[in-house]
Amino acid sequence: MKKTLQIIDRMHKEGLFKKYAIGGGIASLFYIEPIATFDLDIFVVLPESEEVLLSLSPLYDWLREKKYKLVKEHIVIEGIPVQFIPVYNELVKEAVLKAVRKKYEGISTFVLKPEYLMAIMLDTNRAKDRERIIKMSDEAEISADVLKKILTAHGLITAYNDFIKKFYER
Amino acid sequence: MKDKPNKIKESAADYAAKIFTSKKDFHKEQAKLPIEEKIKILIELQKIVLKTQKQEPGERLRQVWKI
Repeated sequence: MKKTLQIIDRMHKEGLFKKYAIGGGIASLFYIEPIATFDLDIFVVLPESEEVLLSLSPLYDWLREKKYKLVKEHIVIEGIPVQFIPVYNELVKEAVLKAVRKKYEGISTFVLKPEYLMAIMLDTNRAKDRERIIKMSDEAEISADVLKKILTAHGLITAYNDFIKKFYER
Repeated sequence: MKDKPNKIKESAADYAAKIFTSKKDFHKEQAKLPIEEKIKILIELQKIVLKTQKQEPGERLRQVWKI
Protein backbone atom coordinates (compact mmCIF):
# COMPACT_ATOMS: atom_id res chain seq x y z
CA MET A 1 0.00 0.00 0.00
CA LYS A 2 2.96 2.30 0.67
CA LYS A 3 4.06 2.15 -2.99
CA THR A 4 0.47 2.62 -4.19
CA LEU A 5 0.09 5.76 -2.08
CA GLN A 6 3.43 7.06 -3.35
CA ILE A 7 2.25 6.66 -6.97
CA ILE A 8 -1.05 8.43 -6.21
CA ASP A 9 0.80 11.27 -4.54
CA ARG A 10 3.12 11.55 -7.54
CA MET A 11 0.09 11.80 -9.83
CA HIS A 12 -1.19 14.63 -7.65
CA LYS A 13 2.16 16.44 -7.76
CA GLU A 14 2.27 16.08 -11.55
CA GLY A 15 -1.13 17.82 -11.78
CA LEU A 16 -3.27 14.90 -12.96
CA PHE A 17 -5.79 15.94 -10.32
CA LYS A 18 -6.06 19.05 -8.19
CA LYS A 19 -6.90 17.30 -4.94
CA TYR A 20 -7.53 13.73 -3.84
CA ALA A 21 -8.58 11.75 -0.81
CA ILE A 22 -9.05 8.12 0.14
CA GLY A 23 -12.73 7.32 0.52
CA GLY A 24 -14.90 4.19 0.84
CA GLY A 25 -14.01 1.15 2.92
CA ILE A 26 -10.31 1.97 3.26
CA ALA A 27 -11.07 5.46 4.58
CA SER A 28 -13.40 3.81 7.13
CA LEU A 29 -10.50 1.60 8.22
CA PHE A 30 -8.74 4.66 9.57
CA TYR A 31 -11.60 5.07 12.09
CA ILE A 32 -13.18 1.65 12.73
CA GLU A 33 -12.08 -1.96 13.20
CA PRO A 34 -10.94 -3.82 10.06
CA ILE A 35 -13.68 -4.81 7.62
CA ALA A 36 -13.33 -6.83 4.43
CA THR A 37 -12.97 -4.68 1.35
CA PHE A 38 -11.08 -5.20 -1.89
CA ASP A 39 -10.52 -1.86 -3.53
CA LEU A 40 -8.97 1.46 -2.78
CA ASP A 41 -11.32 4.28 -3.72
CA ILE A 42 -9.64 7.57 -4.53
CA PHE A 43 -11.93 10.56 -4.92
CA VAL A 44 -10.35 13.18 -7.17
CA VAL A 45 -11.01 16.80 -8.00
CA LEU A 46 -9.98 16.94 -11.64
CA PRO A 47 -8.42 19.92 -13.40
CA GLU A 48 -11.05 22.17 -15.02
CA SER A 49 -12.41 20.60 -18.17
CA GLU A 50 -15.59 20.72 -20.20
CA GLU A 51 -15.75 16.95 -20.52
CA VAL A 52 -15.49 15.06 -17.24
CA LEU A 53 -15.03 11.69 -18.93
CA LEU A 54 -12.31 13.03 -21.19
CA SER A 55 -10.45 14.54 -18.27
CA LEU A 56 -10.06 11.09 -16.64
CA SER A 57 -8.14 9.91 -19.72
CA PRO A 58 -4.80 11.61 -18.91
CA LEU A 59 -4.87 9.92 -15.54
CA TYR A 60 -5.35 6.44 -17.00
CA ASP A 61 -2.90 7.15 -19.85
CA TRP A 62 -0.26 8.12 -17.30
CA LEU A 63 -0.81 4.88 -15.37
CA ARG A 64 -0.82 2.73 -18.52
CA GLU A 65 2.49 4.32 -19.53
CA LYS A 66 3.87 3.07 -16.23
CA LYS A 67 2.61 -0.43 -17.17
CA TYR A 68 -0.19 -0.58 -14.60
CA LYS A 69 -3.00 -2.79 -15.86
CA LEU A 70 -6.66 -1.94 -16.17
CA VAL A 71 -8.72 -4.86 -14.80
CA LYS A 72 -12.49 -4.48 -15.03
CA GLU A 73 -13.28 -1.09 -13.52
CA HIS A 74 -10.01 -0.89 -11.55
CA ILE A 75 -6.44 -0.08 -12.29
CA VAL A 76 -4.07 -2.27 -10.33
CA ILE A 77 -1.31 -0.12 -8.83
CA GLU A 78 1.45 -1.99 -7.03
CA GLY A 79 -0.82 -4.96 -6.26
CA ILE A 80 -3.88 -2.98 -5.17
CA PRO A 81 -7.02 -2.48 -7.30
CA VAL A 82 -7.63 1.26 -7.31
CA GLN A 83 -10.70 3.10 -8.51
CA PHE A 84 -10.49 6.81 -9.26
CA ILE A 85 -13.84 8.50 -8.74
CA PRO A 86 -14.27 12.13 -9.82
CA VAL A 87 -16.17 14.13 -7.21
CA TYR A 88 -19.77 13.70 -8.35
CA ASN A 89 -21.69 16.12 -6.13
CA GLU A 90 -21.14 19.06 -3.79
CA LEU A 91 -21.00 16.86 -0.70
CA VAL A 92 -18.20 14.66 -2.09
CA LYS A 93 -16.33 17.70 -3.43
CA GLU A 94 -16.46 19.43 -0.04
CA ALA A 95 -15.41 16.17 1.65
CA VAL A 96 -12.30 15.92 -0.55
CA LEU A 97 -11.41 19.59 -0.11
CA LYS A 98 -11.62 19.19 3.67
CA ALA A 99 -9.86 15.81 3.83
CA VAL A 100 -7.25 15.32 6.54
CA ARG A 101 -3.64 14.31 6.21
CA LYS A 102 -2.86 10.82 7.55
CA LYS A 103 0.29 8.74 7.48
CA TYR A 104 0.74 5.16 6.36
CA GLU A 105 4.21 3.71 6.93
CA GLY A 106 5.57 7.25 6.97
CA ILE A 107 3.86 8.22 3.70
CA SER A 108 1.55 11.21 3.90
CA THR A 109 -1.86 10.88 2.25
CA PHE A 110 -5.32 12.43 2.43
CA VAL A 111 -8.31 10.68 3.98
CA LEU A 112 -11.94 11.79 4.23
CA LYS A 113 -13.01 12.93 7.69
CA PRO A 114 -15.28 10.48 9.53
CA GLU A 115 -18.23 12.91 9.58
CA TYR A 116 -18.05 13.32 5.78
CA LEU A 117 -17.71 9.56 5.33
CA MET A 118 -20.91 9.08 7.33
CA ALA A 119 -22.75 11.73 5.30
CA ILE A 120 -21.63 10.14 2.02
CA MET A 121 -22.69 6.68 3.24
CA LEU A 122 -26.07 8.08 4.23
CA ASP A 123 -26.40 9.70 0.81
CA THR A 124 -25.36 6.53 -1.05
CA ASN A 125 -27.48 4.35 1.26
CA ARG A 126 -26.59 0.85 0.05
CA ALA A 127 -26.86 -2.06 2.54
CA LYS A 128 -23.09 -1.97 3.18
CA ASP A 129 -23.26 1.80 3.74
CA ARG A 130 -25.95 1.38 6.40
CA GLU A 131 -23.83 -1.31 8.09
CA ARG A 132 -20.80 0.99 8.07
CA ILE A 133 -22.75 3.98 9.45
CA ILE A 134 -23.58 1.85 12.48
CA LYS A 135 -19.93 0.84 12.90
CA MET A 136 -18.80 4.44 12.50
CA SER A 137 -21.36 5.59 15.11
CA ASP A 138 -20.24 2.89 17.54
CA GLU A 139 -16.47 2.92 17.05
CA ALA A 140 -15.24 6.18 15.51
CA GLU A 141 -14.77 9.50 17.25
CA ILE A 142 -17.46 11.56 15.58
CA SER A 143 -18.10 15.22 16.31
CA ALA A 144 -21.89 15.48 16.61
CA ASP A 145 -21.73 19.22 15.81
CA VAL A 146 -19.63 18.77 12.68
CA LEU A 147 -21.82 15.91 11.49
CA LYS A 148 -25.01 17.91 12.07
CA LYS A 149 -23.64 20.90 10.12
CA ILE A 150 -22.69 18.71 7.16
CA LEU A 151 -26.01 16.85 7.14
CA THR A 152 -27.97 20.11 7.36
CA ALA A 153 -25.96 21.80 4.60
CA HIS A 154 -26.52 18.88 2.23
CA GLY A 155 -30.16 18.14 3.01
CA LEU A 156 -29.48 14.85 4.79
CA ILE A 157 -30.65 15.63 8.32
CA THR A 158 -34.09 14.00 7.91
CA ALA A 159 -32.52 10.89 6.40
CA TYR A 160 -30.12 10.74 9.37
CA ASN A 161 -32.87 11.16 11.96
CA ASP A 162 -34.88 8.41 10.25
CA PHE A 163 -31.81 6.18 10.27
CA ILE A 164 -31.25 6.73 14.00
CA LYS A 165 -34.92 6.04 14.74
CA LYS A 166 -34.84 2.85 12.72
CA PHE A 167 -31.58 1.40 14.05
CA TYR A 168 -31.07 2.88 17.52
CA GLU A 169 -34.42 3.63 19.09
CA ARG A 170 -36.57 0.88 20.55
CA MET B 1 -37.02 -22.75 45.66
CA LYS B 2 -39.77 -21.21 43.59
CA ASP B 3 -37.73 -18.18 42.60
CA LYS B 4 -34.78 -20.21 41.30
CA PRO B 5 -35.80 -20.15 37.59
CA ASN B 6 -36.07 -16.35 37.77
CA LYS B 7 -32.64 -16.11 39.34
CA ILE B 8 -31.21 -18.31 36.61
CA LYS B 9 -32.97 -16.19 34.02
CA GLU B 10 -31.56 -13.00 35.55
CA SER B 11 -28.05 -14.31 35.73
CA ALA B 12 -28.23 -15.54 32.12
CA ALA B 13 -29.36 -12.06 31.06
CA ASP B 14 -26.53 -10.49 33.07
CA TYR B 15 -24.07 -12.90 31.52
CA ALA B 16 -25.31 -12.10 28.02
CA ALA B 17 -25.13 -8.37 28.77
CA LYS B 18 -21.52 -8.78 29.92
CA ILE B 19 -20.66 -10.63 26.70
CA PHE B 20 -22.27 -7.92 24.55
CA THR B 21 -20.39 -5.19 26.47
CA SER B 22 -17.10 -7.00 26.17
CA LYS B 23 -17.70 -7.52 22.42
CA LYS B 24 -18.41 -3.82 22.00
CA ASP B 25 -15.23 -2.96 23.93
CA PHE B 26 -13.25 -5.37 21.75
CA HIS B 27 -14.51 -3.70 18.54
CA LYS B 28 -13.62 -0.28 19.97
CA GLU B 29 -10.13 -1.50 20.85
CA GLN B 30 -9.68 -2.94 17.35
CA ALA B 31 -10.73 0.44 15.94
CA LYS B 32 -7.78 2.03 17.78
CA LEU B 33 -5.16 -0.20 16.12
CA PRO B 34 -2.61 1.55 13.90
CA ILE B 35 -3.68 1.62 10.24
CA GLU B 36 -0.68 -0.55 9.28
CA GLU B 37 -1.95 -3.30 11.61
CA LYS B 38 -5.47 -2.93 10.23
CA ILE B 39 -4.21 -3.39 6.67
CA LYS B 40 -2.48 -6.64 7.72
CA ILE B 41 -5.80 -7.85 9.20
CA LEU B 42 -7.64 -6.68 6.07
CA ILE B 43 -5.43 -8.90 3.90
CA GLU B 44 -6.20 -11.90 6.11
CA LEU B 45 -9.93 -11.05 5.82
CA GLN B 46 -9.60 -10.85 2.03
CA LYS B 47 -8.06 -14.36 2.00
CA ILE B 48 -10.92 -15.73 4.13
CA VAL B 49 -13.61 -14.11 1.97
CA LEU B 50 -12.09 -15.39 -1.26
CA LYS B 51 -11.74 -18.91 0.19
CA THR B 52 -15.31 -19.04 1.43
CA GLN B 53 -17.23 -17.09 -1.22
CA LYS B 54 -17.39 -17.92 -4.91
CA GLN B 55 -16.67 -15.06 -7.27
CA GLU B 56 -19.54 -14.68 -9.71
CA PRO B 57 -18.85 -13.88 -13.37
CA GLY B 58 -19.18 -10.17 -14.04
CA GLU B 59 -18.62 -9.35 -10.39
CA ARG B 60 -16.26 -6.53 -9.35
CA LEU B 61 -12.59 -7.38 -9.13
CA ARG B 62 -11.79 -9.14 -5.86
CA GLN B 63 -8.19 -10.13 -5.22
CA VAL B 64 -5.95 -10.36 -2.22
CA TRP B 65 -3.74 -7.30 -2.14
CA LYS B 66 -0.19 -8.13 -3.18
CA ILE B 67 1.73 -5.78 -0.96
